[in-house]
Amino acid sequence: MLSVKGLLSILRKLKSAPDQEVRILLLGLDNAGKTTLLKQLASEDISHITPTQGFNIKSVQSQGFKLNVWDIGGQRKIRPYWRNYFENTDVLIYVIDSADRKRFEETGQELAELLDEEKLSGVPVLIFANKQDLLTAAPASEIAEGLNLHTIRDRVWQIQSCSALTGEGVQDGMNWVCKNVNAKKK
Amino acid sequence: MLLHLWQYLYNNYFRFLMKWILRQVTRKCELQRIVDGLEPGASRTHRVEYSLGCSKSKVLRRAVNVDMDDLDKCLMDIMKAKKIHKQKDPRFQVSLRVCLLQISGYKQLYLRVENLRKQPYDSNNDEHEEQLMELWSLLMPNQELVSRITKQWGDIGFQGDDPKTDFRGMGMLGLVNLLYFSKHYTEESRQILSRSNHPKMGYSYAIVGINLTEMAYSLLKSGTLKSHLYNLVPGVPQLEHFHQFYCYLMYEFDKFWFQEEPESIMLFNQYREKFHNRIKGLLSDQNVVLTLKKAN
Repeated sequence: MLSVKGLLSILRKLKSAPDQEVRILLLGLDNAGKTTLLKQLASEDISHITPTQGFNIKSVQSQGFKLNVWDIGGQRKIRPYWRNYFENTDVLIYVIDSADRKRFEETGQELAELLDEEKLSGVPVLIFANKQDLLTAAPASEIAEGLNLHTIRDRVWQIQSCSALTGEGVQDGMNWVCKNVNAKKK
Repeated sequence: MLLHLWQYLYNNYFRFLMKWILRQVTRKCELQRIVDGLEPGASRTHRVEYSLGCSKSKVLRRAVNVDMDDLDKCLMDIMKAKKIHKQKDPRFQVSLRVCLLQISGYKQLYLRVENLRKQPYDSNNDEHEEQLMELWSLLMPNQELVSRITKQWGDIGFQGDDPKTDFRGMGMLGLVNLLYFSKHYTEESRQILSRSNHPKMGYSYAIVGINLTEMAYSLLKSGTLKSHLYNLVPGVPQLEHFHQFYCYLMYEFDKFWFQEEPESIMLFNQYREKFHNRIKGLLSDQNVVLTLKKAN
C-alpha cells in the first residue's frame, strides 16, 4: 500500500512538472462554433455566447500540456487579421459548420489559403466537422471529400466529427491534438 | 479565523441581541427603523431586503421571493407578525410596500428578460422578420434592402449576409434591444452607426450591440443592476427600464471606444472588459442612476 507520504510526494511531482506550453489557433468562418468549442474545452457555460469581435483566449490543462487556445473571430471583415496570429502556432484547429452546406465552398477556400501560408507550413491541422447534433449536418467523410483533404501531404491532419454544443467528439479531437503537438514538419 | 468567529457570533447572537435592545429602546422593529431612518431608494430597499432575508420569521423571509399577486397579503402578514398598527405608523406600510415591489419586481424583470433571451431568432416567424426589417429601415432610411439575404447587412454591422445566425445566445433580446435603441434614439443610433464605420477604429455596429446586450443581461442577472433600478423606479421595474439601461451602454460605449483610440477591432475584448469594469464601478455606488444624457 502507498503511504500518505509517498502519495504526497507523487502529487507534488505531478504538480511541479512544468507543462509544455502549446499554442493552438482556432479558425473558421463566422458561426462555425469556435467560441462554443473554446468554452466547452474550458468547461464554461455555453448558453450566453455572442459573435466574437476580435478574439478570445483561454488556457486549458490537458494531458500534461498547457494549451493556450486563441479563438479568432470568423467574420469576413476581420479575416485579414488572422495572419497576425500565425506565428509560433503548434496546432491549427479549423472548425466547420457541417450543416451550412451553402458555405462549404467558402470554408474550403479559406482553409486552402491557410494551408498555403508560409508561417503555418508543416503545422498539424485538426478539422472539426462541428454541429453533428443537427439533423442536417453532413458527415465528416463527405466534408473530407468535398474539401479534398486527402490531397494534403505536407503535414499531419485529421478530421473529427463533433458537437461543441453537447461536447461529443471534442475530447477525441483534443487527444489527437496532444498526440501530434510535436509532429510539426520542419 | 477570528473574523469568521466574530461573523458567526454576530449573525447568530449579537445581531438579534442588538435588535432586541434597539427594539426596547426605540419601541420600533428593525424594518420600521430602516424605513424611518433612510431615504427611499437603493439604500433603504437594500437594507430591507437584507433584513427580510436574515429574519428568523418565515413570513418575513418569504417576502423577498413573493409573487406580485400575493404581495399585499404578504405585507399584511408582516404587519401582523411584527405587531405594527397601521394607525400608529401609517407611512410604514406604504414605504414597505414600495420596497417589496422593487425587490420582487427586480426578480420578475429578470425572468421577463430571460424569456426574451431564450427565444431564438426564427426567420420563419413573421414578427421576428418584421422587427429585423424595421431595424434596417430605421438605421438606413435612404437605402432599400435588395433582398432578404444580402451582403448589405454588413453595412449595419452584421457578420454575413443573413443576420439570423448573429443573435446566438442572446436570442430575441439582442434584436429587441437594437430596435429599441434605434426607435427611441434614432438620431443617436444613426450617428453611432456612421462613426462605427471609421476606417481604422471602426467596429461592427450590430455585433457590438448584441455583445452589449450580453453585458446588460449579465449585470441584471448577477444583481449588479439593483441599486440603479431601486433608485430609478419607485415600484415595479419594467422591460422598458432594462432597454433604457441598454441604450445608456450603447451610447457610452461608443464614446468610450473613440476616447480610448484602440489600435484595431482585434482589441475589442480588452476594451470591452475595461468598459465593463468602469460600469460595474459606477453601479457599486448606492446612489447611482445611469441614464442616457444626450450631448447637445
